[in-house]
Amino acid sequence: MTHFSFWIDGPIVGVYLLVTMTAGIFVRKYVGKVEHFLVAGREMDVFLGIASLAATEFGIVTCMYTAEAGYKYGFSGATPGICQALAMLVTGTTGFCIRPLRDSGVLTIPELLDRRFGPQVRWAAGLVIVLGGLLNMGVFLRIGGEFLVLVCGLNSSTFPLEWMMTLLLVMVTVYTILGGMLSVLVTDFLQFVVMSVGLLVVTILVLTNIGWDKLAATVAERHGPGGFNPFVHPELGWSYVLFQALVTTAAVLTWQTSIARVLAAKDTVTGQRIYTRTSFFFVCRFLIPGLWGIAALAVLSGEQTPNNPLYAMPTFLSQFVPVGVMGLLVAAMLAADMSTDSSYMLTWGSVIYNDLLAPWHRDRWSESAGLACNRFIVAAIGLFLLGYGLWYPLKGNVWDYLAVTGTIYLSSISTLLIACCYWPRANNWGAFAAIAAGAVIPSAFLVLEQLSVTSPLAKQVGPYYSGIAAYVAAALAMVVGSLLKVLLKRDKAKEQG
Amino acid sequence: MNMAERFWWLLTIFAVGWYLTVTIYVAIRGALDIRQMLARLESQQSHDE
Repeated sequence: MTHFSFWIDGPIVGVYLLVTMTAGIFVRKYVGKVEHFLVAGREMDVFLGIASLAATEFGIVTCMYTAEAGYKYGFSGATPGICQALAMLVTGTTGFCIRPLRDSGVLTIPELLDRRFGPQVRWAAGLVIVLGGLLNMGVFLRIGGEFLVLVCGLNSSTFPLEWMMTLLLVMVTVYTILGGMLSVLVTDFLQFVVMSVGLLVVTILVLTNIGWDKLAATVAERHGPGGFNPFVHPELGWSYVLFQALVTTAAVLTWQTSIARVLAAKDTVTGQRIYTRTSFFFVCRFLIPGLWGIAALAVLSGEQTPNNPLYAMPTFLSQFVPVGVMGLLVAAMLAADMSTDSSYMLTWGSVIYNDLLAPWHRDRWSESAGLACNRFIVAAIGLFLLGYGLWYPLKGNVWDYLAVTGTIYLSSISTLLIACCYWPRANNWGAFAAIAAGAVIPSAFLVLEQLSVTSPLAKQVGPYYSGIAAYVAAALAMVVGSLLKVLLKRDKAKEQG
Repeated sequence: MNMAERFWWLLTIFAVGWYLTVTIYVAIRGALDIRQMLARLESQQSHDE
């Protein structure tokens, strides 16, 4: 039995949705050029950037997988948050990669790679970015819908999950299509405030009503020392920590939705400040829902515990959060999900337009044709998400799936970006080799995991070792490919000379 | 409370306190950022016309 009241909590959610949609549609009048649509005319300042980055990188799916990690691994499940916060703090402080990227004035990372490695590399990089990004985003809708159904106690015959997902996506798509990055930024700001208030109120309720002692005792009883230290957890260990460090560092450097904030910033220093000042949010992003997952472990009795650990946190919240606060929680989670979906659709769409379609539209299309094309791409991504979200059977941890699909591009694009900015001998041979090596390993892992014949092998290898292998392979491929081209050219020159 | 538990306790308390402060601060300053951003875009639009 859920505490969600249609008459008390429903209006809170309704008001939130109305205000968000109005704000998102209102700013469409400021969109006159492609640059307005994709990077808000590069007019974003620090605090709007912090709100936007934080709101974008926290969706219902984030809340679900971090709570699942808390439920399954205790406090050790929050390790990726610490890794990401450190990576973002160092990157923001030093400007590593993001300074040359923002200084170059490009709209996307592949556009910068074009200047160093040529248009073919730009196209290939754009393809893996879109492939990895869309596969990653494919599970957002279903998991978001499942959370809402569980927390609100909706009857699946009256409110089918598919309808919930469709309605949510249509609303997000409408304001993203109309206002692009401007709508995304303004709604992100509102969503950051609503989301943060909801997260904080529920966390304070958990800490005051259940208490730290009970949470810590539950972790100690169920997970032992491994619940507090990932290195000694039997299911995690050094490979987990190393993989998280690699994934989160690469994400800080190249994840298109994060980088879009640096590129939309009004100058390079502002971009760096957004990173530095948002960095600690990534600890909260993993720790706060992780606490909710631990609370579910502490409170739910055996018969209340769902078979899938992913559903433990929403099941717990549906019975724990009181009427009235439940409306705030649902509005907060809708805010989190809508900000993520809108930003993800826009940023992957920006790569499709700016890099994959570049050979066709470069210097030929008018601003209005460019805008229409971008709007069409956002709508097409929305349709893809609806289809993919409905039929992809997710196996294993949600975070592991996201980390593996993200690695398809994070491993190679982070290698390309670092080499592009700091290694003078890097060239297009190395770039192509890195893209291929970085994409093959995680893609193969996903396929092996889905086939019944090969799934035991995939389970034996595990997502952490296959992920680490992808990063090592991409870096090696860049070095070997680049040096091979230099050596072959030198030999050829000797022969001719 | 052992060292590992103390670490997570301190991190949790700091995270909640930090997040609360940042939410209030960003809510105020972010609204000002939006107003200035829209004003700049409006003046650009009128300049272009």
